Amino acid sequence: MIRLLIPLLLAIGQTAQEPAIDSASMVIEKSSGQTASHDTGVTAEQSSEQGIGETAEHATNQATGHTAGPTAGHGEESAPPPELPNIIEIIHLKYKNRLTDFLFAWRLVIFSSIVWLVLGFMAFIVFRKRTLIPGPLQNFLEWVVEMLSNMVVSILGDEGRRYVPFVGTLFMYIFCMNIMGLIPGFFSSTSKLNTTLALALCVFLYVQFTGIRNFGPLGYIYHLAGSPKSVVEWCLVWLNFPLHIIGELAKPLSLSLRLFGNIAGEDMLLAIFVILGVSVMSFMHLPIGLPLHLPFIFLALLTSFVQALVFALLATIYFSLMSHHEEESH
Amino acid sequence: MDPKTAVGFLLPLAVGVAALGSGLGLGRAVGAAMEAMGRQPEAAGKIQTAMIIGAAFIEALTIYALVAVILIK
Repeated sequence: MIRLLIPLLLAIGQTAQEPAIDSASMVIEKSSGQTASHDTGVTAEQSSEQGIGETAEHATNQATGHTAGPTAGHGEESAPPPELPNIIEIIHLKYKNRLTDFLFAWRLVIFSSIVWLVLGFMAFIVFRKRTLIPGPLQNFLEWVVEMLSNMVVSILGDEGRRYVPFVGTLFMYIFCMNIMGLIPGFFSSTSKLNTTLALALCVFLYVQFTGIRNFGPLGYIYHLAGSPKSVVEWCLVWLNFPLHIIGELAKPLSLSLRLFGNIAGEDMLLAIFVILGVSVMSFMHLPIGLPLHLPFIFLALLTSFVQALVFALLATIYFSLMSHHEEESH
Repeated sequence: MDPKTAVGFLLPLAVGVAALGSGLGLGRAVGAAMEAMGRQPEAAGKIQTAMIIGAAFIEALTIYALVAVILIK
């Protein structure tokens, strides 16, 4: 548990004190970290703006310098992990003013808002013009809803139908955010701990609320104490109670860290292979690269789907642990 | 070997060791699930759901290692 807490605390500290400009220059800065030693006269900001101006070629030259020594980085202070540039970042690098600063600081929210706006708009259109014989979009949405509903009901039973909207929304929202990282110019909000932690906290609070609603306040504490019945079990309450509380607190932690780690790792992998693909073609001085990341896009699709599914499934499991009929599932 | 070199050398190794353990666990879990599905194809859906949940738990251990490595780096 403590081992789990340390990275979380580290992450919170890191995201809290992360200066906007510092992470703004992510890809370019990172690759220019090596070349900065060549042209010491140029400040970091200038070089990063230059890099954005002539994206591929400049990045290529830097990337080749980067690949020359694979262990070159260890002497300097650690660079942030590679990441593909997104629209807001590029705009922020090109035009620095208060508006773009604001946009950049809120980029996670903006990109996730795009997802829910699109999803909501789609649902709104279909709901406005719903017909008995569904059109393609309505058919698709009905299929998605039915699949999610079946998934939840197969775990929770028929009374779990009330959790279908929550779990289904979680699944669609997370899945769309995950695959957003594959669209050029966008990035997945779930590759930052802030988003995933917020989602996991939502699940955590709702699960605890469900527990209190199902068992009542006293019954909830009784449930946390391990539902003791015999004398031996009552004697072990002092051991069971803290364990259950730690177990409950570990749920949002593991949910958020799992999603964050998977998606961040997947995006990083893509970025590394894009950089490799560009640097391989750098001798031609053309703004193109080899699509070396192509196989990993399919891997990323799979990861995106599985992680969204796992998040939704685990939320469902937590609901089932907090309902009456599954006392044996501890 | 100075500490930074040691860290740079050992952190990827740590992920590798974690991935080794997860890989063994996943192999067992998925293998058993496949066997069960082969024996009872009608229960394939339920087995698959349970398998995915278990796989997520197993895989999470590697991801914890990865997150820790990224954060410590």
